[in-house]
Amino acid sequence: MAAVQNLDMFMSDPLAYFDQSITRMHMISRPELEELQRQALRIRVAEHIDGIEMVRNLAARIGITEVSEFDDVVPLFFAHTAFKSYPAALIDQGRFDLMTMWLDKHTPYDLSGVDTEGCEGIDAWIDRLDEQTPLEVITSSGTTGTISIIPKDRQGASYTMRVWRNFIFQSFGREPTHEELYPEVDVIWPNFAAGKLGHLRLAAMLKREFTGGDESRFHALYSGSISTDLMFLASKMRAAASRGELDRLEIDPKLLARKDELIEMETRRPREMAAFFERMSQELAGKRIFMTSAYSLLYDLAASGLERGLRKVFAPNSAILTGGGMKGVVLPENFMDVIRDFLGVEEIQEGYGMSEIGAFHWGCREKKYHVQPYVVPFLLDPETSAPLPRKGRQTGRAAFYDILNRSHWGGIISGDEITIDWDTPCPCGLQSVAIEHEIMRYSEKEGVEDDRITCNATVEVHDEALNFMKAFEG
Amino acid sequence: MSGFRIPLFLRGEVVEENWVPFGGRGPESTFEAPDPHDYVERLPLATPMDLADLHEITFDEILDVLGELGRALDFDTNRYIQEAYSAALQAGNYPASILKNSYLMLPHAFDPVGLREIAEERIGIDYLEGWVSKRLQDGRELRIRAFGSRSLHIPAGNGGLISAITIIRNALTRSDAIVKAPSNDPLTAVAIARTLAEVAPNHPLTKHLAVAYWKGGDTDVEEALCRPERIEKIIAWGGFASVKHITRYIQPGLELIALDPKRSATIIGEEAFSSEATLDEVAIRAACDIGVANQEACASARVIYVLSGTDPEGIEKANRLGERIYEKLLALPETISTRPPIFDRELRDHIEGSRLTTDWFRVVGGEHGEGAIIVSQMDQAVDYAPLLSCRVANLVPVDKIEQVTAAINAYTQTVGIYPESLKQELRNHLPLFGAQRLTSLGYACHVTTAAPQDAIEPLRRMCKWVVDEHCDPDEVFPLWRERA
Repeated sequence: MAAVQNLDMFMSDPLAYFDQSITRMHMISRPELEELQRQALRIRVAEHIDGIEMVRNLAARIGITEVSEFDDVVPLFFAHTAFKSYPAALIDQGRFDLMTMWLDKHTPYDLSGVDTEGCEGIDAWIDRLDEQTPLEVITSSGTTGTISIIPKDRQGASYTMRVWRNFIFQSFGREPTHEELYPEVDVIWPNFAAGKLGHLRLAAMLKREFTGGDESRFHALYSGSISTDLMFLASKMRAAASRGELDRLEIDPKLLARKDELIEMETRRPREMAAFFERMSQELAGKRIFMTSAYSLLYDLAASGLERGLRKVFAPNSAILTGGGMKGVVLPENFMDVIRDFLGVEEIQEGYGMSEIGAFHWGCREKKYHVQPYVVPFLLDPETSAPLPRKGRQTGRAAFYDILNRSHWGGIISGDEITIDWDTPCPCGLQSVAIEHEIMRYSEKEGVEDDRITCNATVEVHDEALNFMKAFEG
Repeated sequence: MSGFRIPLFLRGEVVEENWVPFGGRGPESTFEAPDPHDYVERLPLATPMDLADLHEITFDEILDVLGELGRALDFDTNRYIQEAYSAALQAGNYPASILKNSYLMLPHAFDPVGLREIAEERIGIDYLEGWVSKRLQDGRELRIRAFGSRSLHIPAGNGGLISAITIIRNALTRSDAIVKAPSNDPLTAVAIARTLAEVAPNHPLTKHLAVAYWKGGDTDVEEALCRPERIEKIIAWGGFASVKHITRYIQPGLELIALDPKRSATIIGEEAFSSEATLDEVAIRAACDIGVANQEACASARVIYVLSGTDPEGIEKANRLGERIYEKLLALPETISTRPPIFDRELRDHIEGSRLTTDWFRVVGGEHGEGAIIVSQMDQAVDYAPLLSCRVANLVPVDKIEQVTAAINAYTQTVGIYPESLKQELRNHLPLFGAQRLTSLGYACHVTTAAPQDAIEPLRRMCKWVVDEHCDPDEVFPLWRERA
């Protein structure tokens, strides 16, 4: 094994390893990078087999003690279901001590000392974890009765934002300027100001990393936070409805007690929306901003802005980042033009990622997503989950190992069908592995429900549960 | 392109032209059928009067024709049935051994002795044959006859038997049927219809059967058919979405008989643990309820409640039963159960999630897509219970029977129960929550067609119950006369 210099740095601070240059990150030669990754993978996997009980048990059961080649780690991968394998009844029964015990087996951090006494719901439980541990747990919006709970940590979240900032403001192909490394922008967040859902956690992270915590430069569409407890109720409602048991659904009295507060939040939304547009057209007009949102939300915002007579609102060198699936939403063919017309921004950056791992893979000018150097991509046979050869052009189920990820197991099987051409370099000139633009959810292909951690339709789901609650005396 | 074609059967005439392509249920499966838009106007009966011929023949004659049809459905000699088998093999989820067996059994469904029992038990042959008189206490004479109706059938495609039942029910009730061929069993209905046309050309039974394929939800076709002047009843089997879709056509004069999606439950009493031999017996019966037809039936066992208790000893008992059921499941004969050809990916991911979560679940088997038993280590079913399929069941230990009744709902069809005494104890209670059929453990999928189905009487509802009253003013007080 060739000794690799600065392997520690590569594994913990890849930006530093590549001298803060995103170009260098994606220009490293494939053999050199793979050797780095292989060694890093061995160390991280050994660490996690030792430190994460669920991984340790799985490894023991299938007889893996260490990995040497990439494909060796595939049998240890988790699907999204690993993060919702707790019985949902524990939440209904308020057994957050047992939920903590479950979560403890997902993370190398020691959660045994967490005090859950008197915890009144998921939000409160996650607040406790925020206060008492290095974790910054995120949740999914849930589909049928359960929600995913992923033990991210604060340190990882901050680092992810630093990576974002560098990728958003630097350009591929040249070394970063001082201005690119330390940009001054206002952040526009067309969503709720807070929440524990994967994408709502971003709000606080963006504030920290992009405005240095300056509230006056952070502009959220809605004040307040989306309640995870309410999202969990919505998810249980859908499950109950599909079983014809809506009449038997009980609402936690503690949640019901918050009914007025939640309704108040709902009623002030139109007002806040108007104020938001007002702020954009007055205070922020012509300014350089950063905004990130899923395609559909961005489109709704743009359409609604154009309707209000707002066009080309921001400075052309503003940065916009978008991505996320199109599940359940149909947008007009020219939706990107509509977005551009409203924002007045020339370039809209696309990216591909998933909440189960932190990494976000940036789209290049060829509209391919370039895999970050600290992530090892895999293509699996969708039926058997066996790894497909890492050569030629392959289509399969996407799986990733995120070396940077320390707070939970980094080997994740996605629900996405992706295509990678392993042998042909991307015409954009970058050396890194590129995922083709066409990405499809297997569930969409097969027409079934799934619970991707999605940024779409959060408000609708929230309202659905709230309307159900309104029928109850609280 | 799998390449099979679904001909159109129009009351004796077989249409094999105007082919247009359709996509099947899998990405690989495509097939062709005559363009339904070209024939939709010819599918319904021209006039209700045309049903008269069916009401002029005797019930015995109907049984004779059906009996002859059954004999002609012999797998070895009937080319249409062989084609139907190959098409269902490509289009559906069943492995060859199970599917083949269901086609071999097809002729038995047409056995006149069994059919007579169905008609007598579920309707009453006298009512089908003519007017049945009864004098009421107010003096009038009531004469009742069960008439056939003009109907649209949307059968489910899990196994060819449902197409056969559809055609049998139509014949027994002297009804007129337009059958929509299901995409996962595309050819069985047409195969039976073509055989009928050969054994009984120009017979009224042949003239009152049409079979066509169109894509479910094709409103051009469905709106043309689903009008009260053309059909009176829609008999719809199948999934939530398709039954829900059909409800849009329901209006005065057009009735829906919904054999909608059902789930089933299983309850095993503590008696199961009374001896090793009993445990063995219970395990094979439960395995049978899970495994038959690879758990594709609505009657298949999925969540199995065990009154073992939830203390460590109770959990241990449940684990032991789980392992025993798994063993028996794998030993079921190939003709009724196999390793599923396709394993649901989402379910597999959930099973692996449970396998990681050893505090709450013990997963027996399932590592090779062969089926699995997930034993809950507390009194809760897995949250993904609605996905259970592919020979995967969830054993849930409980302390009290009340915890089981909470799991029975409007969508519960069959409840398999062990022992009989527990069934007796529960039978006046479970139906209030929604249970529709209680049966001995091991017989959930051993279904008779001579019983009510889904807590309704579909055969009676397929009939029109027409009344002829004879009122003699000397016997029945006339309204035009003033009371003394």
